Parts: sequence; structure tokens; C-alpha cells
Amino acid sequence: MKRRPVRYVWIPVIIALLAVPAGFLYVDWSKSGAGDGLYSRKWSPESVFAYWNPKAFYTSVETVSGVFGGPQCVNCHQAVTPGIVRDWQASRHAQPADRGPVYCSACHGNNHENLHLPTPEVCGSCHAARHAEFEDEKRFGFPSHALAMERAQDAPHFVDKPKAEVSACLQCHSVATKCDSCHTRHRFSAAEARRPEACITCHSGPPHPDDETYFASAHGRIYLAEGDSWDWSRPLVKGNYRAPTCAYCHMSGGRHQVADKSMWKFGIKQINPLTSNNAVKRKQWVVLCSDCHAADWSRDRLAELDAERKQAWEKLYAAEAVLKGLRKDGLLSPAAGERPPYPNDWLDTLWPRARIGFFEGQASAFYNVSPIERDYFEMWYFDNLGAYKGAAHGDSGAVSQGHAAMDNALKAITHQAARLRSAGEEEQGETAASAELWRSGEYTDFNREHN
Amino acid sequence: MGGSLHKVGKLLLAVWLLHAAGYQPVTAAATDGSFTNDACIQCHAPRDPGLVDAWRASAHARAESRVDCVACHGESHTDAGPRARRDATCSACHGGPTAPVVHSYTTSKHGILLRLEKPDWTQPLAVANYRVPGCAYCHMHAGNHAAGAGVRDWNPLEDTAPGEQDRIQETMRAVCRECHSPRYINSLFSNGERMLSVARMKMREADALLEQAGAEFSADELISARVQMEHMQQHLKNVLLGIGHQSPDYQWWHGQPALDGDLLRIKAALAESRRRHSDRKNTEPTHAPVFKQRIEPGEGETQ
Repeated sequence: MKRRPVRYVWIPVIIALLAVPAGFLYVDWSKSGAGDGLYSRKWSPESVFAYWNPKAFYTSVETVSGVFGGPQCVNCHQAVTPGIVRDWQASRHAQPADRGPVYCSACHGNNHENLHLPTPEVCGSCHAARHAEFEDEKRFGFPSHALAMERAQDAPHFVDKPKAEVSACLQCHSVATKCDSCHTRHRFSAAEARRPEACITCHSGPPHPDDETYFASAHGRIYLAEGDSWDWSRPLVKGNYRAPTCAYCHMSGGRHQVADKSMWKFGIKQINPLTSNNAVKRKQWVVLCSDCHAADWSRDRLAELDAERKQAWEKLYAAEAVLKGLRKDGLLSPAAGERPPYPNDWLDTLWPRARIGFFEGQASAFYNVSPIERDYFEMWYFDNLGAYKGAAHGDSGAVSQGHAAMDNALKAITHQAARLRSAGEEEQGETAASAELWRSGEYTDFNREHN
Repeated sequence: MGGSLHKVGKLLLAVWLLHAAGYQPVTAAATDGSFTNDACIQCHAPRDPGLVDAWRASAHARAESRVDCVACHGESHTDAGPRARRDATCSACHGGPTAPVVHSYTTSKHGILLRLEKPDWTQPLAVANYRVPGCAYCHMHAGNHAAGAGVRDWNPLEDTAPGEQDRIQETMRAVCRECHSPRYINSLFSNGERMLSVARMKMREADALLEQAGAEFSADELISARVQMEHMQQHLKNVLLGIGHQSPDYQWWHGQPALDGDLLRIKAALAESRRRHSDRKNTEPTHAPVFKQRIEPGEGETQ
């Protein structure tokens, strides 16, 4: 009698023995499709993806056959692609101080029928330390450069939307899969990548106005006034630059590691600034700021940023509470079940539910939602993140502008919620005609069929 | 002796022919001082007929407030070429640094490298002289004064006729090929075309709704809807600018998700208007015939 429970122990053990390998097999299987990443079986790439994610999608289609040495490449391509050759000739690759030229074939291969586009691994075969720093970012999770491609390709809205539409995403997120986002081809200049402008093609726009907030800060204004006369061949260390630039702080000393000091996670979710982990990161920031400023002064600025974040999250959570209240009472209009489902989300089809806030994945639910949810998305993603970037970069104008916009948005959301409540008391849900309105239309139909 | 007379005769004939053709030899004195547009044309029409004709055919010359020689080159002959090649000359009229048409370029990799490398604007617009293209490099390629005839925007709001599309695109591709590989350019163009057509679908979906809604909306609602449509047009243009100037930010944040927001707000306005109408219908049964037509029994309940 007493031994029976021991016998049952085998049941979970057997289940675990089956389930764990099955889980691994499932993940492997899901990654084996025409696309890339966790949902690779649910999408196929546009041809241009070969250039954004070469490791996954680039295959050579060259028809010129033969095996060529570096000088031969240069001879021929001087006529075919003169701009590229001229860039390379002006680069350090053409005349390294300590070895012979790094020719085309070193990165692209020498068999013309099977050329490849260099990945970070290819660059890393010479620049091993930089590549190792870059890879090391992965330990710290998002946001990071090294994980950027996964972040894009595994996002539900990337999987869900037509690929021609979301190919815009991969241009910036390709910072994970090739090095020329910052060191533009074919000069691959370190001096160029040290300039703040090297970052702003991607670090601009409503959710991350790094360009505007930095250029408006005291640091940025010094850079704008004097930066052109600075010697950009010098490393990013104390004493070489009068004011810091993006890379001076985020890649200090030239370390290709932007994630190790990341505490506030882009402002996208609330963080606890007081964890022991964050205490270590805070110390790193203070050491860095102390290149120019007193340590106490720097600590105060970081505390101001914490306070700004706390204030922002009070506003954001107030708005989230309003939305969750509407969801609970079935007053979101259209309700989750009345909208076009995200084609690839079977859970959403089975159990339609409005996603509200970071942890429910609202960052991917900015379309096919009710206007009040979209208002919150804009408050969270544009106003809040703008305020965060302002606070982090020292642009007080952007902070007050972002907070004023959040105040207005919260007011509008509260007002709209009251209207929905009074309308809802008269009539629940959508009229039949409106259900049709939400579920069909040229783009809506196309999206359903061509994700 | 006879030979040299012959030479002198030839020279005189040549001078006479040139004179008859309106040629005026350029001397230092002739290019000193300041010039009006008419003076520019008078001298350059015979010297550079292709250039002047190209300008005459351009959108610049046909614009309501005509963009003439002096507008870009200034009144002085000194540095007239470099002055016109600079991006700042274009952006002065095209909305300034914050206008989408300018900002989408200045934040692109081309725009950034141009700002950092400060090209020598005294050099003609040829691939050997510029690492990256500025405005004029592409849009007035090789000094072609028919601005907009080569690399130009195609109408974002409606599909271009296929033949015309091919012609425009081939002209543009040829410019890109000076630096980039044909495969890369072809991939970008075909992707850009599809990206734009997706954006147009959003616009058309909203258009179709508004057409229905014309009879359902009140005057105030119609005005708000039209304002939303104006936003939508700008967001659609942003997608095109993002593709043309290779600015991911304009393709995406200023483009596609912004269009998604516009579309759902138009749908919401229409849904709300219908809800109000149906409330009213309960008390005033003869209201809104257009609305009643569209509600067939059982329609919309199928899903």
C-alpha cells in the first residue's frame, strides 16, 4: 500500500523524458521553414532580405565563372562598379599598416559563381575582439544590436503583416547580421562610425528620437558647433573629445557592446532601478560620466532619470488601467472578437483578447485595434519614449514635451472611455454593419491572405 | 602666304558663323557683375542649347513661381555651379531641413555620408567626384537640367501605367548602378514597388469607406474624416520618400504604422456614426436610406 505513490513518480518522469526532446524537436522544426527564426514556417522572404540577413537568405546567382585573386577582382570591378573600388582603395583594407591588402576575395570568396556577402563572423575572422564584444551583448537580452534581427523576425506583427510592408524593419535590425550599418561599405571606417550621424539612420523617428534629443542636449550642441574639427581617428576615451557622442557613452573605449550598461530598457517597460544588477550598471555609468563630471553630480542626473521614469509609468499605468477596465466590461469597440484576427496567431483566433501593455504584447498590436488602444499605443510608444530619450540624453525640452503629450493623451483616453461607457449602457457591442467594416477591406483582406 | 590667308579666311568665317549663331566669346568682363535670368538665357541658350531646353521642359520652369537660373545659381557668375549643386540650395525651397522630402534624405546613409564627408562642390556631378549622391546628383543627374525627368517621384497616390513605370524605373536604376550592383538595385526596386502598393491598399480601403460614408456622415464628421485622409496622403508620401531615399524611418514609423492608425480611426468614426444612426433609427424609423440599403438581413453575422 505504502509503495504505490512511489510507483506514480515514474509517470511525470516519463512525460518529461518525452516532452523535453519533443519540445526541442518542435523548435527545430519551427525554425526549418522558408523564413528565418521561430516562425520561419509561417513566412517566406522578399528577395531583398538577402541583403539584410545574408546568412539566412543570400545565395549567389553569379553567372561569371572562374576563380579570381584580389588584384583581378579590382581590375575588372574598376570598370563594373567604380564607386565600390574607389571606396575600397581609400580604406584601411587596401593598405593595412601591418600586412598586405585585404582584397575583395577575403570577404566575398574567390569563386565567382559562389560569392557571399560577409556576415559579422566573416569580419570577426580578423576583428576577433570586436566580434566577441558584439556577441557578448546577447547575455544582456534586449535591447541590443546583436539580438536585433531575432527581435524583428520573431515579432508577431512581422510574421503577420505582408513581407513587402515589414521589410522596412529589417533594414535597421540588420545591425545584427552585417557590420556595414555603422561602418559603411566599402570604406568600413572606424572614424565614420564614431560620429553620431552614423547612428541616426536607425536611431531616429517617433519611438527613439535619439538624434533630436542628443543634438538638442548640451553635449550635442557642443558637437554640432565643434565636432567637424575634432580628430575622429582617436579612440573614444577620456581626453580625446570635448563632448561625448553616442558611441563615446554607449560604446566607450570603442567596445562593441551597447547592452551591458542598459538599465532602462529603451523606456518600453518599467524597470526597478534598485536591483543589485542595476546598481552595478549605475556604477558603470557614473564611472563613465566621471570622465568629465563629478561623481555626485552624475549620480544626481541618473536619479532624475529614475524619477522621470517613475512619473511616466504612473501616467502609463493609469491609462492601462482605464483600458483594462473597458476590456473587463466588454466595452472596447470593436471588441477583440470583432476585429480581424492576426492570421498567424491561433491562440488569438481561439481566445480573442485585446492586448494591453508591454507584457501582453501590445507593441505588436498597433493595427486592427480599437482607436482607444491605438491612442494608448501612441502615448506609450511615441510620447513616453520621446520623454525617456529626452531625460536620458539631457534634452529637457523633449521631457516636458513628452510629459505634456502624455497628460493630454491620458485625458483623451479617460474622456473617450467615459463616452464608451455611456454608449455601452445603451447598446453593447458593434452593429452588424460595423462588424463587416472592421473585418474586410482591400488591405485587411490582403493582409489576411498574404502575410 | 596663300595658306595663311586661307587660314585667316577660315577663322573669319568661323567667327562670322558663331556670331550669326548668337555666340558671344566669354571674357572675364562678360562674366563679371550680376545677371538677371534673361541675361543668363541670352548667353547660355546658344552656348548650351540642350541645357536651356532641358530646363524649359522641367517642372522648375513650369512651376507657378518659376524656378529660374538665378534661383539656384545666384546672380553672380563666381561659384555659380557649386552654389547650385549644394543640397542646401534645393532644401531652401523644398521645405527646409524638417520637411519629409528633405529629412528622409538627410537621415539616410547617403545624406549622412554627404554631411560627414563634405564633398567638393566645384566638381561636376559625376561618380568619380562624389562618394555619395546629394539631391542634384540623382535628380539632375550628370547636370541634366530637366529636374524630375530622370530620377523623380512617381505619383504615390495611384499606380503608374506599367510602361511609364518601367521607363521611370530604368532611368533611376541606371543612376544607382553607377555605385551599386544590378541585383541589389533590382531587389530594392521590386521590394519598394510592393511596399508602396501595400500602402496604397490602406489608402484605397479608407477611400472606399469614405465613399460609402459620404451619405452617412454629418457635415462635421465629414470634415474630420477629410482631415484624417490628408494625414493619410502625407503618410503614403512618406512611404514613397522612405523607399526613394532609403530611409527606413520614413518607410516605417512615418509611413506604414501611421497609415494603420489613420485607417482604424476612419473605421471607428464610421462605426460610431452608424451606431448613432441605428440608435436614432429605433425612434425615427425612416432615417438614412443609404444606411438601410447597406444592412441586409443577416449581413455581418456570418463571422
